[in-house]
Amino acid sequence: MRLPIHINEHSAEPLYHQIESQLRSLIMSGQLEENTLLPSNRELAQNLQCSLITIRRVYQDLEAEGLLRTKQGTGTFVAKVDVEAGARQRLEAVEAAVSAAVDAGASAGLGRAELESMLREELKRRKMT
Amino acid sequence: MTNRSEGNRVSTAVQNAKVTADRGTQPDVVGSVPAASFSGVLLNRSRFRLGPLDLELPAGYVTAIVGPNGCGKSSTFRLLLDQARPDAGEITMLGEAVGKGTDDTELKRRIGYVPEEDDKLDGRLRGTAKADFVRQWYPGWDRNEFERMLRQFEVDPSLRLGKMSKGMRRKYELALAMAHGPELLLLDEPSSGLDPLAWRTMVDELHRYMDGGSRTIVMATHIIDEVKRLADYIAIMDSGRIIGMYEKDELLGSWHTFYLSSPEGASPGDVASAAAAMPGIVRVEEAGGGTCRVVTSRAWEAEQWCRQQGYLISGQKALELDDILDDLIRQKR
Repeated sequence: MRLPIHINEHSAEPLYHQIESQLRSLIMSGQLEENTLLPSNRELAQNLQCSLITIRRVYQDLEAEGLLRTKQGTGTFVAKVDVEAGARQRLEAVEAAVSAAVDAGASAGLGRAELESMLREELKRRKMT
Repeated sequence: MTNRSEGNRVSTAVQNAKVTADRGTQPDVVGSVPAASFSGVLLNRSRFRLGPLDLELPAGYVTAIVGPNGCGKSSTFRLLLDQARPDAGEITMLGEAVGKGTDDTELKRRIGYVPEEDDKLDGRLRGTAKADFVRQWYPGWDRNEFERMLRQFEVDPSLRLGKMSKGMRRKYELALAMAHGPELLLLDEPSSGLDPLAWRTMVDELHRYMDGGSRTIVMATHIIDEVKRLADYIAIMDSGRIIGMYEKDELLGSWHTFYLSSPEGASPGDVASAAAAMPGIVRVEEAGGGTCRVVTSRAWEAEQWCRQQGYLISGQKALELDDILDDLIRQKR
């Protein structure tokens, strides 16, 4: 199975962090269902062209968060996910993205009015009410 | 790496990246025997001095040894194989001491080696004849696997070795070194002479080899793509010494070039002098058009620093491995 994970090589965000957050949201959003068998460490490392060490770290971290479980000799599976926690997590992700947008605006010298109008424009463009 | 289990992973990773970028780190091999180790190893020759060499090559991973010509990569392999004896220090391979004058047949059965130069003496032998000779020493020789690899590599073993093209000979030697399923594979510039298609087949075969269980590859290479596609760890060597051992993804991910625009009322010169305080700063120069070009070895921290300081990053790019090597070697010389 190929996981829909995309690496941005030009981002300063560490590779393990990019993979971890994408895999986390695939699980939280339910796109990867409970009991799905994930690729082996080596397989995923080869698919994403990153090192085995990075994949080990990702799987270990998500296992510690309770999102994955490893059965000795069988592989790594998606664990049962608390849906409410998933919703909470998605909300937090949106808040973080908004906060990053405000940071970017501030460093480009934009004021409150300009930021507000940019957000309105974007919503209008996507025809969101 | 230490403190892997600590609470805040983000800051731990940043600290790790910092340690890696500044001093190099030994990999996390606690609780497992390294595939090979050097401690205090010295080799003195009239025109060349290797060491003091202290290095642990982690089992279960691919380590690429990179560095300029003549930096000591091939000598390191010869020391491991007991083809050269050190003037001082201890060497182990797969948990056994190397160079103690005892019978090392058993130990050598557990490894595979492809030297930098193919043997010139056996040019009159056909590929099949050399394989028949070599396999007598390896009880674990897998004939099917050997033939499968020759087919993958499109090698005709009925040819005399001296009649094979350089690339075909190289592929033949690779198959020969892997046919007994060694625990440790030592490759000295394995891909020299391979065309791009054969190179891809080699990379696939080496991945396949690593899938076969608890196996280790140590390879010397000049090919950046080879390091990117295969390595877990990178050991950088210069003038007979290891100047750092790095996790590949961390090393490649933490060196970036940033283009910084000057904020309102500040000149590029002001930005350049302020950037001296940026985390992991390697160098800074004015790039024209009111911007500064800054190289950092701690990109993620540096990015956050820019945001806090109010500097706009108008462009950024990860450094290629050869540029990173260049800077690291210059720093340590």
